[in-house]
Amino acid sequence: MVTKEDIIKLAKLGKLYLTEEELDSAVKDMTNIIGFANEISKVDTGDTEFDNINGLENALREDIVEESFDEDLILKNVDGGKDGFFYIKKYQN
Amino acid sequence: MKYELVSGLETHVELSTKTKIFCSCRTDFGGEPNTHCCPICIGLPGTLPKLNKEVVRYAIMAGLATNCEINLISKMDRKNYVYPDLPKAYQISQYDLPLCKNGYIQLDSGKKIRIARIHIEEDAGKLVHKGGDVYVDYNRGGVPLIEIVTQPDIRSSEEAREYVEKLQLIMRYIGVSDCKMQEGSMRCDVNISVRPEGSEEFGTRTEIKNMNSLTFMTKAMEYEKNRQIELIENGGKVEQETLRYIESSGTTESMRGKEDAHDYRYFREPDLVTIHTLSEEVENIRKSLPELPTARIKKYIEKFGISEKDAESIVKYKNISDFFEKAIQGIENPKIVSNFIIGQIFSTLNNEQEKESFDIKVSAESLNELCKLVESKKINVGLAKSTLLKMLETGKNVSNFISQEDMQSISEEKLLEICKKAVDSNPNAVKDYLSGKEKALKVLIGFVMKETKGKVDALNTQKNILDTIKNI
Repeated sequence: MVTKEDIIKLAKLGKLYLTEEELDSAVKDMTNIIGFANEISKVDTGDTEFDNINGLENALREDIVEESFDEDLILKNVDGGKDGFFYIKKYQN
Repeated sequence: MKYELVSGLETHVELSTKTKIFCSCRTDFGGEPNTHCCPICIGLPGTLPKLNKEVVRYAIMAGLATNCEINLISKMDRKNYVYPDLPKAYQISQYDLPLCKNGYIQLDSGKKIRIARIHIEEDAGKLVHKGGDVYVDYNRGGVPLIEIVTQPDIRSSEEAREYVEKLQLIMRYIGVSDCKMQEGSMRCDVNISVRPEGSEEFGTRTEIKNMNSLTFMTKAMEYEKNRQIELIENGGKVEQETLRYIESSGTTESMRGKEDAHDYRYFREPDLVTIHTLSEEVENIRKSLPELPTARIKKYIEKFGISEKDAESIVKYKNISDFFEKAIQGIENPKIVSNFIIGQIFSTLNNEQEKESFDIKVSAESLNELCKLVESKKINVGLAKSTLLKMLETGKNVSNFISQEDMQSISEEKLLEICKKAVDSNPNAVKDYLSGKEKALKVLIGFVMKETKGKVDALNTQKNILDTIKNI
C-alpha cells in the first residue's frame, strides 16, 4: 500500500514540488504502477536462481581513448548552455 | 574529564586510467568545460555504460597493496540522489559487494588502521557557483574513483595525517593515482566523535566532507573534536550531521542534519553485469605489484646501511626513490648516491612541491657516472660535490667538468712528494701547527688539494702531511 507520506518522501528525494492535488493522483498512480510490477512475484520460479542480468559476467572494455563529442553537440539539448557550461539559473521562489 | 577522539576516514582517489569508468572519454584534468564528454557520461537516456577493465585491475592493485581480501564476485549498484553534478540522478557505485575488503595500513608506531572496504565508482561533475547561478562542467563526470573506507581506528589528527600520507604514497608507488590533493585527485571525508577516555562505546559522530589538504584536515579535526567536547561538557548533545570546513575561519558549519540524511535507495545496476575475477588473475596482479614504500625503506636501511632518516626522506617521494634506484646501478656502496641526493641535490630543491615533481637537470645515469668515479677513487668526494652542483646548474655531463687528466689517479709517491712541497712552502703554517694550532693543518691540506685539483683523498693527505712534519 502506497501512502501519501511515501509520495511526499519520494518527491522530496527527487526534488519535486507537488501540489495537494498532484500528491493525491500520484498516490493512485504509484499504487497502480507497483501493482503492475508486482504481478511478476506471482510466478513460481521453484529453486531456479536468477538475477536481473541473466547471470552474465565480465563485459569489460579496454582502456583506449576515443574522441569525445563536440562541445556544441553536448550542449545542444540545453540550448547551447552558457560559456561552455550547462547552466542553471538561480531558483526564484 | 579526559576525552578521546574516535575517527574513521573515507578517502576518494581518482584512478589514472586513460579513459573514464563507463565510456571512452579521456580523464585528463582540466581542459575546456564539457569537452571530455559523450552521451554516456552526460547521462543521456538510452545510453549504456561499459566497465573499463583497467579500473577493476587498478582497484585490485590498491586492495592488494593495502592488505585487502579481494571479492572474486563483485557487482555495481545504483546510488540514487538528485543533484546537478550527477546528470543521471544516480551514481554507479558498489554497495554490498565491493571489490576489496578487510585490509589495513600500518603506522610507524606499529598500529594498524583497518580498511573496511575499497570500492569503485564514478566521479561527479564540477559545479561552479556564480551569483546564485550554477555552471556545470561534466569533464570530471565518470572519471573512475576508488573509495577507501577505514574502521573507526584513528585516535588523533596526527594518526589521520600519517594514514593519509601512507595511503597516498602507496597509491603513487603502485601507479594507480597521482593523489594530488590540491587538484582534487585525492579527497577525504572525516568521521569524528569523542568519548570519555577508557569508554568502549562510540559517541554520536559528525562527518566533515571533502577535505583537500592535509593541513586543513588536521585543523578541522582538532576544531571539531574541541567543539564536541565543549558541547558535552556544557550539558549539550552532539547532533549527527554533515559538516563543511570553512578554511578562512577555521571552523565547521552544518551542511545537512540527520533528518536530511540521504536515503540512497541502492539497488543493483541492471545495465552492468557481474564482475567475476579469477583467483589466478588476482595472484598475477599481486606478483606484478612494484616494491612498496615500506619495503624500500627496509632495504635502504638494512641492505644499504643508509640512516633511517635519509631512507625515509628519499622514499617519501616516488620520483626521487626511482631516481635513486636507477643511480645505484653497479655501485657497491649506495650511500655515496644517497648522500649526494640528500646533500647537493636537495639543496637545489626549495620546497615539498619541487621535491615531489623532482624536475632536475641531472639524469640518474649522469649521477651514476659521477658516483662510479668516486667509488673507483678517480676523484675525491669534495671534487664530486662541487662538480655535481655545476651539473645541476647547467645540465651538462660529468665529462664537461672533469677531464681525463683530472681522473688520472695520483700515486702514493707523487702524493708524498706534493705533501713535502706543501710543508716546505708553508713554514708558517707548520710552525703554527707545531705550536698547537690544529687549524693550520687545513692550509697544508688545501695546498695539496690545489696542486692535485682535488684528486686526492683528504684523510690520506692529512696522514702524509703529518708524517712529513714528523720527519722534519
